[in-house]
Amino acid sequence: MAGFILIVIAAFFVPGMILRTKSIASGRKGPGLFQPVKDIIVLLKKGSVFSTTTGLIFQIAPAVTLATVICAMLLLPFAEQKALLPFEGDFVLFAYLLALGKFFTIIAALDTGSSFEGMGASREALFSMLVEPAFFILLATFAMFTGYTSFSVIFNHFFVTGNDYVMIYSIIGVYLFIQIAMVETSRLPVDDPKTHLELTMIHEVMILDYSGFDKALIHIGTYLKFALYGSLIYNLIVPAGWNIFLQAGLFFAVQGFFAVVIGLTESFRARNKMNKNPKFILTLSAIAWIAFTVILILTDKLA
Amino acid sequence: MLNSVLFLAILFLSLLVFFIPGKFKYHFTLVLLLCGVVLTSVWSGMLLAGDDQVLEIPLFAPSAGSTFILTIDRLAAFFIIVVNITVLVGFLYARGYLAPYLKSKNALRFSIHYFSYLWLWLSMLMVVMIRDGLSFLIVWEIMALSSFFLVIFDAEERSILKTGISYLIQMHAGMFFILIAFLIVEKTTGRMSFDALGEYFTGNRNLPLFLLFFTGFAIKAGFIPLHTWLPEAHPAAPSHVSGVMSGVMIKMGIYGILRVIVSMQSDLLVTGIIILVISLISGVLGVMMAIMQKDLKRLLAYSTIENVGIIGAGIGLGVTGMALDSPALALLGFSGSLLHVLNHSLFKSLLFFNAGSVYQATHTRNLEQMGGLMKNMPSTALLFLAGSLAICGLPPFNGFISEYLIYMGMFQSLSGATLYHSIVVLGSVVGLSLIGGLAIFCFTRAFGVAFLGAPRSDKALHAREVSAGMTIPQYITVALILLIGLASPLVVKPVFEIVTRTFAIDDPVMVSGAFTANLAQISIMGGVFVVVLAGLLVYRRHHLSRRQVDTGPTWGCGYTAGTARQQYTATSFAYNYNHIAKPVLQTAKEMDEIKEEEIFPRRRSFISHSDDIIKKALIDRPLDWLAGILKRIAVMQTGQIQHYILYAFIFMLLVLLLSILKII
Amino acid sequence: MVNYLIVLFAITLMYFSSADRLITYVKLIAMQGLLLCGIAIFELKEVNTANLLFIVAETLIFKTILLPYLLNRIIRRSGVTKVHRLAMPGFYLLIFSIFGLLISVILANILVNPFINTIYLAIALFTLVTGLLLIVTHKLIISHLIGFLIIENAVFMFSLAAGNEMPMLINVGILLDIFVGVLILGFFGLRLKPHTNELAMLKD
Repeated sequence: MAGFILIVIAAFFVPGMILRTKSIASGRKGPGLFQPVKDIIVLLKKGSVFSTTTGLIFQIAPAVTLATVICAMLLLPFAEQKALLPFEGDFVLFAYLLALGKFFTIIAALDTGSSFEGMGASREALFSMLVEPAFFILLATFAMFTGYTSFSVIFNHFFVTGNDYVMIYSIIGVYLFIQIAMVETSRLPVDDPKTHLELTMIHEVMILDYSGFDKALIHIGTYLKFALYGSLIYNLIVPAGWNIFLQAGLFFAVQGFFAVVIGLTESFRARNKMNKNPKFILTLSAIAWIAFTVILILTDKLA
Repeated sequence: MLNSVLFLAILFLSLLVFFIPGKFKYHFTLVLLLCGVVLTSVWSGMLLAGDDQVLEIPLFAPSAGSTFILTIDRLAAFFIIVVNITVLVGFLYARGYLAPYLKSKNALRFSIHYFSYLWLWLSMLMVVMIRDGLSFLIVWEIMALSSFFLVIFDAEERSILKTGISYLIQMHAGMFFILIAFLIVEKTTGRMSFDALGEYFTGNRNLPLFLLFFTGFAIKAGFIPLHTWLPEAHPAAPSHVSGVMSGVMIKMGIYGILRVIVSMQSDLLVTGIIILVISLISGVLGVMMAIMQKDLKRLLAYSTIENVGIIGAGIGLGVTGMALDSPALALLGFSGSLLHVLNHSLFKSLLFFNAGSVYQATHTRNLEQMGGLMKNMPSTALLFLAGSLAICGLPPFNGFISEYLIYMGMFQSLSGATLYHSIVVLGSVVGLSLIGGLAIFCFTRAFGVAFLGAPRSDKALHAREVSAGMTIPQYITVALILLIGLASPLVVKPVFEIVTRTFAIDDPVMVSGAFTANLAQISIMGGVFVVVLAGLLVYRRHHLSRRQVDTGPTWGCGYTAGTARQQYTATSFAYNYNHIAKPVLQTAKEMDEIKEEEIFPRRRSFISHSDDIIKKALIDRPLDWLAGILKRIAVMQTGQIQHYILYAFIFMLLVLLLSILKII
Repeated sequence: MVNYLIVLFAITLMYFSSADRLITYVKLIAMQGLLLCGIAIFELKEVNTANLLFIVAETLIFKTILLPYLLNRIIRRSGVTKVHRLAMPGFYLLIFSIFGLLISVILANILVNPFINTIYLAIALFTLVTGLLLIVTHKLIISHLIGFLIIENAVFMFSLAAGNEMPMLINVGILLDIFVGVLILGFFGLRLKPHTNELAMLKD
């Protein structure tokens, strides 16, 4: 329960911190920390305009995406408390729930009958397909290392030995999760959230036709996803056995660190050329293979 | 005794289809089908609920030669239920689908069609119930023949007749392998039966005989590279037949492989890894080729190959678990694959019936000519959406449950495994996740291009919703899909029971108990998802009712003359994927490039090919080479009778010469 | 500490398959030189000081500073910045690289031996495979040179795998770097352009 609430609280300030970091890195003062929340409140007050080409799918897709993110949040643990609905293999459900959200976003984009949105849908489908193996290899290395298959139990048993290779594995894991989070929430270098050229958008163009309440739902889903991945990264860094108040403080510190890293990466990195993106995403799987080799050494299977 | 009489009665009453007047043919067949379904399901249900090992029903047993005794054990009972569900739902759907053909085809064609349908169902039932080798081959042959007659229902088109004949030939190639395998068993043990396999396997090398059986059954199941009949036969057949063929006839090959595995004693590790590697290649290549298809039913046929790959991966993992003495891996692998057999029969038949509805409404199977069908055909669109979500393995539908079981088998075996096994299992994890991602790509393309957006042609513009008789059977299937997805422990517990009894896995209670608890959690999560979604949608409606809601055209970036041609087509959706997959799939395009000097370009045409590379390599090229040789020999066929008499004379001289030289 | 350096070395090898510009290759070579220097310092503490000093100086001066500088000059002079590959999307090079890691791990496991440190053996084999892949799939001569450099790093790793005994053989092997230096000087001397593939075509 505590984990769920902490993620929701973190979702309030992480997007604002990313924006603020980007502004400060560009030399501006930037918007306030809670500006994204204020934007959502403005959206909730507005009405909606729907396209005549769209149908039922367009209407229900944002709600489906948000529901999947909320259900995925139920699977993450915090400190030594178990998640709200833990079971063996819950990380498989985690990955497939997020995939369900993506499925609906893609077909809602195709529903508008616009060429921009079709382009975004086609790219999003390809890139999310390529990022799945990286996620699963990482999860398999978790299972191989700890011997357990549930998020709640894995993170409890993560930091048992103080071996050198565990630290390497943790660092690679954090790096991979940050990259996967940036691919899945459509940030640079895969997709620029601030571009206003439709031919260069991926995620932004898929939600181009949404307005009012639906757009608010989509934004809430994205912000919750940031906090979700931040929570995963937190679990990889901090051992589960520490004092719970210390852990709560560290949780927000890690979420802040995650936001600053995303902000700095977005400020100093250009967006990839669109046809170089598959190779970039496959590099994540390659690094995950290296993590797998590290685990092979750790578990004494290799020499 | 009563059982045998009833079953034989159904077998003989099927002949009456030819004599019933035209209007009542359908109803008579339906009644016969219902009786048979009830009878066999009662047998299966009794066996599964009780504690016996087998149920024996003798049909026809002469004193010497092959016997027709039906032996139902737990594995057979499972397959009987799977077959019955899809065949019954398919026949209910067929009424609406065949309605437009009543005017164009005469009563005899319909009689043959219904008779073949009944015999396809009966032969599939008998395939799983018969152990004796020769009788097995006879019903296998009947299955191939009856499906052939069903496929060529529309044989006015020459291409469909050609496809049907090619299908028949390939089925016989498969039977050839099974026949040889049975003959080897007979030579060694004296009996030609599945029961004699156990005896054979204790004394001789397991792997070669298994490979023979596997090749024969794999042609039926559709593993790559033996799948070449699938993408031709399924689009050619009428849709209710495609659904039944893809849903359950393919599973007869899976049944055969499982039956052989049950008796195997040694060489299990090599077998498991071979099956795993072939299945993963089938899965990945199958869905890779599915993404490039423009014909909706061909896309679904390649997707069947992908799912057969997933089923095979489960079987491979189960066999590896048996080899490594890991009951968890064996139980989860086999259960996942058996559950996927049931799941796939449900959602693939749903998708094929749906494709049939779309064909009936639009008279085209080409994805590029559809679009915006959801507005005129809402039921069909929602049913296709349910089928797509299920086939991608997304929660809370049933595909997720079977893929989850297979994943858990892989993850559970990782921690204790040696280096090579870890690498193999991780490779299969990567393969399975890649298959899942590609399936999402494939079905967002299919659903999005066919049903969403604006109509791309007149055919799509004038489509109307099909009759209730065609949508109600699909709703029944969706209900079953949701049942398995949301209440999975109900279905998975009996499957665990079946697997532990059939494959003699000991210590199952811990693992199956733990996993039933996990599945219960998944069901709770499914329920939570539905509740959260419903809550959000209800609040949304309330929220929007108090705000101003307008409509307008889609954002065109300032361009105000938008047409349906501006949308993404199916080929363009797969364009960036094609760029990556081209070295593997060898898609080709024919186009005259526009040179720089050509200031006013002429009209051009553009053709893109995505042929099946394996069919090209394994079938087309050898056939062309053979045709080339035969053309040269065909010079001898001059058409003049003097030359033929000369040939006969030369032959006689040759025989005389050879017998003088004492060669013959 | 050494373990961090070894894993970082493996990661730089993966990046060779996904890099797009020749300057990135040069930077990666420099980084590899630095990593090898660090690994040598940590691993070879028991060799006599003169040898150790020679090895450290050689890796630092040659691999990290001199050769990258020369390569950089050549690239700037010729104006070729992008890597040209043979008829294959870069995607597949990365997939082959992943398979290369897999095969080297399996091979290292087969060749297990009490006198050989298996981890070094695995990484050395992976380095060898990456170098070979680079030479086989690229068109430009400069890429072939870089592939050759990587193979030499593999030789260095192999020698580290053989444990702390470091006889003169290894020193001579390291001096292979000087051989490559001569090749590069040839570029300057003969004013060869790195983007000729005339030397790569053996048929008319």
